[in-house]
Amino acid sequence: MGKNKGEDFKLPEGYFANFNARLQERMKAEVEDEALSFLPKSDGFKVPDGYFDQLSEQLKQKLEPKETKVINLRTYRKVAYSVAAVAAIFILVFSLRTPAEASVEFSDLANAEIASYFEDTQWDVTTAELAEIIPVEEVELADLVETDLESENILEYLDENIEDIDEIDLNFETYEE
Amino acid sequence: MQPLIADETLVAQLKRPESREKAFGVLVNTYKERLYWHIRRIVLDHDDTDDVLQNTFIKIYRNIEGFKGDSKLYSWMYRIATNESLTFLKQRSKKSGVTDEELKTRMIENLEADVYFEGDEIQLKLQQALATLPEKQKLVFNMKYYQEMKYDEISEVLETSVGALKASYHLAVKKLEAYFKEH
Repeated sequence: MGKNKGEDFKLPEGYFANFNARLQERMKAEVEDEALSFLPKSDGFKVPDGYFDQLSEQLKQKLEPKETKVINLRTYRKVAYSVAAVAAIFILVFSLRTPAEASVEFSDLANAEIASYFEDTQWDVTTAELAEIIPVEEVELADLVETDLESENILEYLDENIEDIDEIDLNFETYEE
Repeated sequence: MQPLIADETLVAQLKRPESREKAFGVLVNTYKERLYWHIRRIVLDHDDTDDVLQNTFIKIYRNIEGFKGDSKLYSWMYRIATNESLTFLKQRSKKSGVTDEELKTRMIENLEADVYFEGDEIQLKLQQALATLPEKQKLVFNMKYYQEMKYDEISEVLETSVGALKASYHLAVKKLEAYFKEH
């Protein structure tokens, strides 16, 4: 200990002055790595060879033939009307030709047809887009739900469907602004 | 996230019909891999990812006129990719008449047979563990850990504060750790 006072070996300037800081940084990095050491380095997904190279060409082909097939959102409403009209005509003709089966009311059939059309058709419309064509002011909650919501039902729904209660903003004051 | 060309220039070129096609090629080449991995980690299967990725780019191409530049181009594109992926999954579960939970289980079962998944035991377990997380936590975790995005980038895409993202990430890691200990 006493013999070597540092004359034989040289050190970078300020080595000891910033040693603590460097040590702390290294320890911190190790703690962070360690925390996730249970995870695999890669999540194992691969892509076919050359996939990314041919993607641009594929996209180009998809976009070229039918240039700008712009779908106007308002046409969805027109489509809905046309469908309703066609369904109504179809059912009218059908019900006139087969009077024997008149036990089912015309209005029931028409409604059921239209309802099942909307139920079965995959609408490529997001809720945000729907919101654009259906003015929110004109919609009451009662139009959207068939039964009255009891607070018991709401709590039951939240209990079953919300996995992380912290994600709900329970601070009611923020709604009052 | 360093784009090869300034976003503003690219957007301006995309909006002009005469330079649109060329600019779109640059856009696809710049972002295809990043968006692919983002979508893949949501829908898991390669072929489904390919579908969603192409739809994403087509939507970007057709909606670029409406891009106002209020947010950054990449975050706008990531948002479209995220929405397209989640919508795809919703439609898939509706079509096959199963709940979201059942769909998740099926997706992982399919993964075992996927030739584009290495399928090692721990990687499969990771997907099973991720499937137990709420959608948002899973997104945040994948974006931060496997896609190595910065918090402020994730914040722009998910429109969530950095503080809330850190909390989500922390919760996700804790839950994953617990899952790995239990299984």
